Amino acid sequence: MDNRIFMFLGLFALSIIVLIVIISVPLDYMSPIEKLALLIVAFFFDSLAFSTRFYSYLFMPMLKQRRRNVVLNSEEAYWLSSSTDSIIHKEGEDYIATVFIKVPLYRSGTEMTDQEKFEFTNQIARIVSSSSSPARFTSQLHIMNKDEYISTLRGTASASESEEAGLLSRSAPDTEVNRIRGKSSMWHHMLDNVSRTISLELVNYVSVSASGIKEFEAIAAAQQRAREMMSAIAAVFGISPSVITGEAILRFVEPEYLIPYSTATEQITKSIREEVI
Amino acid sequence: MDEEAIIYLVFTSIIPVIAIANLSAFGGGFLPYFVIILAALEIAFLFAMNFADFLLFPVIMGILGITFQPYKDYKITRNQEAVVKNVNGLYYATGFTTANLFAFVFKAEREEEGQDVKQVQAVDVWEKVVMSIPFSFKFHVISAARDVQNVRDELEGKRSYQEFEMSKALNSKTSNEVVISDIQRKINVIQTQIDRISQGEKPIATIMYFETTAVGVSEKAALDTLAAQIKQLQIAASSLDVQMLRVVGRELYVLFKYSFALPTEYQAMTANFDVQQ
Repeated sequence: MDNRIFMFLGLFALSIIVLIVIISVPLDYMSPIEKLALLIVAFFFDSLAFSTRFYSYLFMPMLKQRRRNVVLNSEEAYWLSSSTDSIIHKEGEDYIATVFIKVPLYRSGTEMTDQEKFEFTNQIARIVSSSSSPARFTSQLHIMNKDEYISTLRGTASASESEEAGLLSRSAPDTEVNRIRGKSSMWHHMLDNVSRTISLELVNYVSVSASGIKEFEAIAAAQQRAREMMSAIAAVFGISPSVITGEAILRFVEPEYLIPYSTATEQITKSIREEVI
Repeated sequence: MDEEAIIYLVFTSIIPVIAIANLSAFGGGFLPYFVIILAALEIAFLFAMNFADFLLFPVIMGILGITFQPYKDYKITRNQEAVVKNVNGLYYATGFTTANLFAFVFKAEREEEGQDVKQVQAVDVWEKVVMSIPFSFKFHVISAARDVQNVRDELEGKRSYQEFEMSKALNSKTSNEVVISDIQRKINVIQTQIDRISQGEKPIATIMYFETTAVGVSEKAALDTLAAQIKQLQIAASSLDVQMLRVVGRELYVLFKYSFALPTEYQAMTANFDVQQ
């Protein structure tokens, strides 16, 4: 039987017991005020019994820990499978593997006729109804991680500056110095532009999960579901979906990958500056 | 109200009813009246928990100041409205809003009102929404196909009931034109759904929601930014004809868990949410 039912029955029984005590004990042995206090206790247990319908997962941790920050789970939420193509989550005794499939759809409404738009929405409806088991279809807009690009630009800009300094120290011809100066200025300008604005990227992906009593069983089942989903996507849109592997999965799971660190700090500095001004 | 809710309500309401039935156990004076008031409050609380636990639960947790740690490094705030993660001193707050596309649900009712035009416009509307949002967000559609025969049987049962209501209304002297046309409309909607299934369309159940993440130097800053982002998202997505309500409490916890592991069965998917069918 479900834990929730046990909790409900336990709390309900407690409530009944307290109520029986209130009713059966004569007023000579228990004052009316004491009875009223016990009635409040009975109602408290009764309310808790009803709350198990939705919140049974909170009760045991709250009772055991008795503190303001209740730890429901101190483990990591998931881990990457050894094949790096899925994440594994443990739920009770079961393992749940989730596979992420990238859907490379790069079509825009601006380049479609009305008939194509109509067909496109029908294709989306067909894909959404293609899986018999639950599947999640996601459109994700996230901030591009430009850290690497910015550092490359910085390197190139400083290389140009060094080159300019070298030319000046060798008393090179003005035309040559001006050419390098222009190049250096171009890289600096590009660096300013790139770091001033945030760039957003829209990706579409599908995730499917499967459970198993062993880790490998869950992974195999999830991969099977992913293959079915990929063939459905390929058949409907005529594109080649691919399973996302390794660190790229984190972009769809971890919040810090949605807003890269450097962009976040830049964004915060900018908003503080605006507030101060 | 489903069967489970009725069972919970009936069982737990027995306690206050028994208390009222045994008022003599509390002696005389004003106490019996006090017991009646307490019992009435208890019943009111039970009904409120059944119909609006999403309002009560965050308020209770807010008053008690209780936060939850669903997994390592994550925290559900005391108002139960966001999941916060601290990464190297930066706080990432993630919130969810519902996004049920009711226009799609009522397709059967508005077949003659140019659904095709809406489908054509959907592509452009979605692109405008994406272009008007300058922060990271995700739009999720979790779908699962339902058993065709079960859905068909269910719809035929509903149609039979409506036909029975119609015959009652036609034979009754008190029923008017409004009642009859309303029943006829319901029959038409059900018939259209049956026809669509007969034409090979798969019945599916979906859960749709938006997820957005904000960053801040403190938890409060991240939560404030998140609230602003959700408001902006609600405005931007209003053209999609969606009802966007902020997800709080246990539903927030469940949606957060979906980031790592999806429900693997249709029953698990529908256990926590009203699905769109």
